[in-house]
Amino acid sequence: MKTIEKLNGIFQTVFENDEINIRPEMTANDIDGWDSLSHVNLILAVEEGFGIRFTAKELLTFKNIGDLLHGIENKPGRIGA
Amino acid sequence: MLFCSWPFLFFMLIVLPVFFMLRQTKFWLLWLGAASCFFYGWWNPYYLVLIFYIAVVVFLLIALMDHCPAESQKINIRARLLRLQFDDRLVKIAFIFFALASLVFFGMALAGPKTMGPFMGGLGLIMLLMALGALYSSREIWLVVGLFNAVVPLLFFKYARFISENINAVLSWLHIPARLPDASALMPFGLDYLLPIGISFFTFQSMGYLIDFYLGKAERERNFLRFANFVCFFPILMAGPIERAGHLLPQFRQFPAIRLQNFSDGLSLFIVGLFKKVTLAGYLALYVDRVYEAPGDFSASALVLASVAYAWQIFFDFGGYTDMARGVAKLMGFNLVLNFNHPYLATGLGDFWRRWHISFSRWILDYIFMPLQMRWREWRSVGTGLALVVTFLVSGIWHGAAWTFVAWGALHGLGLAGTYGLERSAFYRKRVPKIVKQVLVFAFVTFTWIFFRAQSLPDALLIVKRILTAAWQDPQIPALMLALVALVWIYEFLCESRWRNLLETGLVRVGLAVLMVLGLFFSSSGGTAFIYFQF
Repeated sequence: MKTIEKLNGIFQTVFENDEINIRPEMTANDIDGWDSLSHVNLILAVEEGFGIRFTAKELLTFKNIGDLLHGIENKPGRIGA
Repeated sequence: MLFCSWPFLFFMLIVLPVFFMLRQTKFWLLWLGAASCFFYGWWNPYYLVLIFYIAVVVFLLIALMDHCPAESQKINIRARLLRLQFDDRLVKIAFIFFALASLVFFGMALAGPKTMGPFMGGLGLIMLLMALGALYSSREIWLVVGLFNAVVPLLFFKYARFISENINAVLSWLHIPARLPDASALMPFGLDYLLPIGISFFTFQSMGYLIDFYLGKAERERNFLRFANFVCFFPILMAGPIERAGHLLPQFRQFPAIRLQNFSDGLSLFIVGLFKKVTLAGYLALYVDRVYEAPGDFSASALVLASVAYAWQIFFDFGGYTDMARGVAKLMGFNLVLNFNHPYLATGLGDFWRRWHISFSRWILDYIFMPLQMRWREWRSVGTGLALVVTFLVSGIWHGAAWTFVAWGALHGLGLAGTYGLERSAFYRKRVPKIVKQVLVFAFVTFTWIFFRAQSLPDALLIVKRILTAAWQDPQIPALMLALVALVWIYEFLCESRWRNLLETGLVRVGLAVLMVLGLFFSSSGGTAFIYFQF
C-alpha cells in the first residue's frame, strides 16, 4: 500500500468520513472538520499509524497534505507503506 | 493622529495626491514610509526610535538567519573563537561587530553615569546574544534573539510598572524592607516612561514574520524600505489588523492598481467606521461610563444593561477603528485582512474567536496555541485544554497590565477548554437551536466583558455580585439607547439570515446612509480615544 493510501485511511477514520480522497495540494480548508483543534487528533493518529514521531518544528512547518506526506516518507523506521 | 480628527484629514489630503503622483517613479514607497513616520511621530517623535529599532533588528536577523544552514551542523567553536574561521562572511562580520559592541556597552554600563547603567547593560546583553547567535550559526538562536528583542521593549513599556508594583506589594506584605524601583527610573536620557502607542501590534506583527521565516512559511524580504513599510504601515500601526508578511509584503512590490472601486469602497468603509466609532460607540459610552464609574450606586438591571451596552460599545469602537484602517488602506489600493465578522452571531466560543479580532486570534492560535498543543499532544484533551487556558491568559495580559485583563483571558480560556468538545458534538450542532446558542455565547462573552471594562478586580466582582443579589429597579437608561441596542441586534441578525438581501436593496442602503450622516452630524467630534490604542 502506498503512503498516500494509508494516510487517506487515517483521514477517513479521524474525520469520520469515508468519502475523503486526499491529494497533496489539499489543506485544512478542503476537509470538513479539519481545524486547529482536530489537527492534533490527526497528528496523533498519523504518528501511531506509521510508528513515527514528529518534532514540534516539523509539525508547525506543514502547510498542506503534501508536506505531511513528505514528512512521513522522510522518517526512518516508519511502518506500513 | 486619530483617524477621526482634523489633522488626519489634512494629512490624507497631502499624502494621497502625492502618493498617486509618484506612481510612475520608485519614490512612492519612500513617500509611504515617510508618511508613516510622520503619522507615528505626531504623538511623540521618540517613539520612532523604538519602531525603527524593531524594524532594523528583525530585518537584520532574518538576513542572518538566511545565512545559517537550515539543519543543525557540527561547528568548531574553538576555531571560530581563536582564528575567526567562519564559512560565511556575513556571519563572521556580524560576530566581530556584535562581540565588540557588547564589550563597548558593558564597558559603558560599568564606567558611565549610574543612571545609564541598566540601559547600557541591557544593550550589552542583547549584543552578547547576537554574538552568540553568530558564533553558533544557529537559526534557533537568531529566532530566540529576535523574539527577545521584540518582547523586551513590550514587557518593559507595558508591564514593568505592574510587575514591580505587585512584587513590592508582596515584599511589604512579608515585611521585607527592600523595594524595587519604579520602571521610570530605568529610562535613559531622562525620557518619560510612556507606553508607545501601537507597540503590542507592531511587535506582534514583526514577531509573526520572524517565526514564519524560521518555519519556512515566509520569504526573506531583501529590500529594507519595503520591510520597514510592512512594520510601520500607518493604517495598521495603531491597532492593527495584525498583518502577515505573506499577505501585506507582496502588495508593496509594485504600485497598486488604480481603480475607481477602491475609492468608493475605501471611502464607504471609512465613513461606516467613523459612524460606528463616533456616533454609536461614543453614544453608548455615555451610559456605560456612568454606570461603571460607580457600580455600587446602580441596580442590577442597570448593571446588566450597561454590560450589554459595553459589549456593543467595544465592538463598534474597535470594529469601527478597523473599518477606518481598512478604508484608508483601500483608498491607496491596499487590502487589509478582515478583522471582525459579525462576532455576536457566533454559535460557540470557538466560533466567537473566529469572528472577533480575527487577525489577533489567528496570531495567538498559530504562534502560542499550536506549539503548546503539539508539545502536549500526548495528554490529549487535557493538553489541548491547558494550551487553550495558557494561550488566553497571554491574550488577557496582552490587552493590558491589570488583573482585570488576566481574569478576562482566564475566563475565555476556561470557557473554550470546557466547551470545545461540546461545540463540535453532533448533539450541539444539530439539536440545539441556533438562537439559543447565539444567546448563550453572547451572555458568556458579555459576562467576560464585565471584567474587561471594570476599573479593578474588586469592582468587577462587586458588579457580578450586585447583578445576582441587588434589586431590579429602573436602570435609568435612555429609551433611545435601548432602541438603538435593539436595532443593532436586528440588523446583525438580518446580516446572516435569509432576508439579508433586503439590506442590499437601494432604499435600505440610502436610508442607512442618511441615518449615518445625521448621526455623525449630531454626535460631538470630541475625539475620544480608541479603546484599543492602550493595548
